[in-house]
Amino acid sequence: MKRVWVLIFISVLIIFVLLDLLLVSGHVHLEFPWSHIAGFFSLFGFIGCLAIMAVAKLLGHYWLQRKEDYYNKRGDDE
Amino acid sequence: MSNFPLAFILILGAILLPILPRPVRSSACLIFSVVAFIFLINLELGASLTAPFLNYELVLCRVDRLSLTFGYVFVIMGFLGSVYGFHVKDTLQQVVALLYVGSSLGVVFAGDLLTLLVFWEIMAVSSLFLIWARKTPEARRAGFRYLLVHAFGGSVLMAGILWHLGETGSLLFNHFEGGIASYLILFSFALNAAVPPLNGWLPDSYPEGTVAGSVFLSAFTTKVAVYALARGFAGLELLMWAGAIMAVYGVVFAFLANDGRRLLSYHIISQVGYMVCGVGIGTAIAVNGAIAHAFAHILYKGLLFMGMGTVLYATGRNKMTELGGLVRSMWLPLIFFMVGAFSISGVPLFSGFVSKSMVVYAAELSHLGAVVLLLNLASIGTFLSIGLKLPYFTWFSTDRSLKPKPVPLGMYIGMGLTSVICIAIGVYPALLYNLLPYPVHYQPYTASHLIETMQLLIFTGLAFWLVIRKLHVEENITLDTDWFYRRPSRLAYNVFSVWVSRFFEAVENLSLRLARFTVKLGANPPGYLVETARSAGYVFFHTKRPVPEPLTFSPDRYRISLGVMVLVVLLCLIVLLAWDIFV
Repeated sequence: MKRVWVLIFISVLIIFVLLDLLLVSGHVHLEFPWSHIAGFFSLFGFIGCLAIMAVAKLLGHYWLQRKEDYYNKRGDDE
Repeated sequence: MSNFPLAFILILGAILLPILPRPVRSSACLIFSVVAFIFLINLELGASLTAPFLNYELVLCRVDRLSLTFGYVFVIMGFLGSVYGFHVKDTLQQVVALLYVGSSLGVVFAGDLLTLLVFWEIMAVSSLFLIWARKTPEARRAGFRYLLVHAFGGSVLMAGILWHLGETGSLLFNHFEGGIASYLILFSFALNAAVPPLNGWLPDSYPEGTVAGSVFLSAFTTKVAVYALARGFAGLELLMWAGAIMAVYGVVFAFLANDGRRLLSYHIISQVGYMVCGVGIGTAIAVNGAIAHAFAHILYKGLLFMGMGTVLYATGRNKMTELGGLVRSMWLPLIFFMVGAFSISGVPLFSGFVSKSMVVYAAELSHLGAVVLLLNLASIGTFLSIGLKLPYFTWFSTDRSLKPKPVPLGMYIGMGLTSVICIAIGVYPALLYNLLPYPVHYQPYTASHLIETMQLLIFTGLAFWLVIRKLHVEENITLDTDWFYRRPSRLAYNVFSVWVSRFFEAVENLSLRLARFTVKLGANPPGYLVETARSAGYVFFHTKRPVPEPLTFSPDRYRISLGVMVLVVLLCLIVLLAWDIFV
């Protein structure tokens, strides 16, 4: 089952790289460093997603997350 | 009636509502929205309504394309929110919802700063009651904090307006030219737009609102601020960077949230980031994009809040750690929620796709590579949290065998109508583009744009799917900039309340003791002296332990014996004689 999914994603990636090469890369009007990398946004999506999860979890774990009663210990009022 | 201020229709409605019989109040809310809509489509471009006030001419209504766009979406959202909240029998909520929508309309049609300020404050107060109407202790506390923050923002706005008036002598609300006054005004606008670090109030208060109340909250305050920024500060570079960073900021914090509606609140910050960024870029297409995105955002964010609100209504739970396995019992809200989720993620054929891409395209046109990447990154995070994570943990994941109670028909109709509009805008973008302030020469459905978006979305999905087994939501809260006024609040409470009262207590005790001492001394002065002398003798010279003297004075007890008096007189005589002889 897992292998099927991996195959599907790889074939989707190949399709997008081909589409990029055929339709996008040759026709860009706006030049950016990544404009000529076929499949750049696949990579960006994949790595960006992992990066957001990692950064969020690290920030949360080492700095920002607290127990739910952090602001209101003893359930006291104001 | 081509220049009648819409705000007054809804505010009048809010005043009339409590007089109407209870069963027709929900319908009346809808009727007021429809009436407002009829007035809205009859407004004439360029019309204005002025009224004299002191030495100034107030512009109660100014109709241009910018205010009209916001007018349309506010009236539509007010109507949809009332449909969703049709079951609500709480008159207070209905009244303040009308006031809130009315005052938001008041702000976007206000032509001068004083009118703007008045409606701005009505907005803050009426929205506060949508939070308090939840009637939980958390809602009460969050409401107080919301009030304090917005009262502060309102005061800064007022200071800015007065300063501006002093400098320029004009109250008209147009593009600001810099200077301290305009920075004060910018500050208060940015506070309402929840630009970090002024964002703490939003995720703090919106999740605490009522089921229908938060639908309204999500739509108005921040978008009114976007309107104000677009009118007053378009092209300010600071806003461009603030917006791009804000878009990613919201996404990162949203990923840590456990409460579903808090997650959505952080995505308001993120989405408003796109708008603020567009306003900051300031070109015609960027401002168009910002406003198109505000329009689309109000609808799909309302829809998302409706979806999570439905779950909260049916199960009484809102945290991902307490939800799961609802897909069988609540599949219809899931479908509506996913329409909102696809819209916010910018999936082709949904509304976000045609609006968000305009802002990104504007950044590309202005050749701002870093901004383009930041906005795309925020897009990834949006799909991750709202398109995948939140629905996964709410409707799938662990089955907690919850028994949701039946949901009123109005909620379904509200969600259904909003979904239809979201899809309609996505499929036929001209619906939205024709309303925008500047003429639109932009085509969202190009091959390159479609390929780019599909790559981003599919590979975000892949990354999520790879880590899904390791992903779990933690039962925690995340500190945000509200820490700065929430955590020290205990210290402030100590300094200004506890310590002050302790000081007063100490002073009171001291004066009481002084009074007691004076009374004792006054009642029997010699007795006191004798007792003190004996005590000193006992302490220092180990004489016998003194017995307490009586409390009242009796002349006989302390009368000095005759012998001592004679001795004293004799000693005096001796001293006098000695003086006489030797000196």
